Amino acid sequence: MKCLVIEDDPITADYILKGLREAGHLPFLCRSGLDGLHHAVNEEWDIVILDRLLPGGVEGLSIVRRLRELEKATPVLVLSALDAIDERVLGLRSGADDYLPKPFAFQELLARVEVLVRRATARGAPPQQYLQVADLVLDLRSRRVRRGETPIPLLPREFRLLEYLMRNSGELITRTMLLEAVWDCHFDPQTNVINVQVSRLRSKIDKDFNPALIHTIRGAGYRFGPEA
Amino acid sequence: MKLSIAARLAASYGLLVMGTVAGVAGVFYGATIGLLEQSIDREIETISRRLVDQYQVAAPGSLPDALARELTDGAYSDEEILMLIAADGRVLSGNLLVWPLLDAPAGELQSTWLKRRGQRTPVRFLLRDLGDGNRLLVGRDMREQQAMRELVLRALVVGALVALGLAMGGTVYFRRQLESPIGAIRRATNEIESGDLGRRMPPLGDDEFGRLATDINRMLDRIEQLMDGVRHVSNSIAHDLRTPLTRIRSRLELALGEDGGAEEARGAMADAIAGIDDLIVLFNRLLQIAETESGVNARNFTPIDVNRIAEDMVELYDASAEEQGVALNLTTRQGQPTLGDHNLIASALASLIDNAMKYAGSGAQVEVAAHACRDTVSLSVKDDGPGIPPESLPLVTQRFYRVDPSRSLPGNGLGLSIVEAIATMHGGRLELRNLYPGFEAEIILPRRGLPVPCEP
Repeated sequence: MKCLVIEDDPITADYILKGLREAGHLPFLCRSGLDGLHHAVNEEWDIVILDRLLPGGVEGLSIVRRLRELEKATPVLVLSALDAIDERVLGLRSGADDYLPKPFAFQELLARVEVLVRRATARGAPPQQYLQVADLVLDLRSRRVRRGETPIPLLPREFRLLEYLMRNSGELITRTMLLEAVWDCHFDPQTNVINVQVSRLRSKIDKDFNPALIHTIRGAGYRFGPEA
Repeated sequence: MKLSIAARLAASYGLLVMGTVAGVAGVFYGATIGLLEQSIDREIETISRRLVDQYQVAAPGSLPDALARELTDGAYSDEEILMLIAADGRVLSGNLLVWPLLDAPAGELQSTWLKRRGQRTPVRFLLRDLGDGNRLLVGRDMREQQAMRELVLRALVVGALVALGLAMGGTVYFRRQLESPIGAIRRATNEIESGDLGRRMPPLGDDEFGRLATDINRMLDRIEQLMDGVRHVSNSIAHDLRTPLTRIRSRLELALGEDGGAEEARGAMADAIAGIDDLIVLFNRLLQIAETESGVNARNFTPIDVNRIAEDMVELYDASAEEQGVALNLTTRQGQPTLGDHNLIASALASLIDNAMKYAGSGAQVEVAAHACRDTVSLSVKDDGPGIPPESLPLVTQRFYRVDPSRSLPGNGLGLSIVEAIATMHGGRLELRNLYPGFEAEIILPRRGLPVPCEP
């Protein structure tokens, strides 16, 4: 997919561009805010990855605001060294879809980018009643889950966790993304609570079945799907 | 030109005094001289009416006698002027030999100056037509009234001068009163600006300036406290980030010097990244404390529901509790509105639950509860573990402090510092107590709405 990267620091920019290319995407780099705004507004992108403090005193968020004023729904992920809570709030209020503080791990960035693009693509689609991955079926209306013919009882929060994993099946999902999407926690609880939550879910949906659907990606997070 | 506040206040004070004096003088003058003159006018009119009646009803010939009677009855006889004047200007009768103002209109009270008994004299008079060409003049010598008027005016002028003097004196006094405390405050702020940060406003008594000085002092205390906080953070960074940095550096340097090959190098890099990630976490937490303690996030406060936060956090930790063999229970009570930052309160509670599970260990009972009591709401986490040695209790909220036996467990000694900073930032507090057996940590926050009875 086409990614517009607006970032002035050459090392960070190389790091992002190289990673995106390796993941099979087509990144394009702008080093200044003005240039970035020009490209963001005049071309079609699958996603815009934006630094906040750009040379020439351009605030990255002004690019998001301009995009939204023009009613462009291009997903925007803001990268920033400004990590205070109110800075994040400001970022999201300006119309950004996600906010990732620096320093970050590339896998975290990639996972978020892919989820954002997928969500944007799915936006126009009609609401589904069922989500299905392999023989696991999740009924969004009756809130029931079954694998093959076997019903699997889940706690409400486990249901939300599974729904999120299934909606993003095939993508890398990081622990932070799960914390934010399923528990609405925008902080790092320091311990491995998410690992334990995922293992409990795994013991319910994967233990007695084949193939295994929840795969742990070491040092990064999880991937959901029949293939590892 | 811009006038100083003192000058403006003093000028308005002076104007106010002058205005007051003028007002009082006007009222006083009207009530004395004015009334006196009115009563004289009335008297002139009464006498003239009576004489005219007599002239027309009784007999014209009796009027000179009536005039003579009037002039000898002893009532104001000295000041009265009465004359009967013929159409040709001849004086038929009366106590003046000539009347110089024959053209004066009849029927109206008028004032003039005449020469009487050798003196210029103010006279108030009323001329009346008697119908047959003759005219009657009734007048009054106003010398005494004139003298009294002058006396009163002089007194008023003297009074006004005294008032002006007082106003000017008051102005000077005002300036002094305003300038002395303001000068003291300015001197103190100048000294603070030039680097004496411990300097405070001098005590200025219990007036407005005194209260202003107290407010400024409180603000300075707060600023100093924040600066201490910043200094403390930088000290902490210096002490506690150098060690891991040194470790990462040595690890990389060793790998660089050795001929361990690619595998060894990769291992060193992975270790370095892990070490840097830990440092980032530590760094973020220190920043978070500083940010929280400065209270800058308070403007993002929204209504929050502590019950929901308690439920969410218990749901987040239930799997871990299950895995560690800890029984995690929740008690909530309905209707506990408060203002705050959802994420910060949630992270504080998560930190307390985490601590309880970590230090109470496997097989423990951990009770999470949301209470309300009078005007507070609280989130408490109670365990049945070993508690904290009493001598460590006041120290555990200090940054990087760790109770000795827990040094082997993972952690950075910042958890409770952050929880306390979050509680303080919300206008609340963190209470820690040993329960023998067990330990309880409670975040107490101010409650919105009407006070509620406490639960048993």
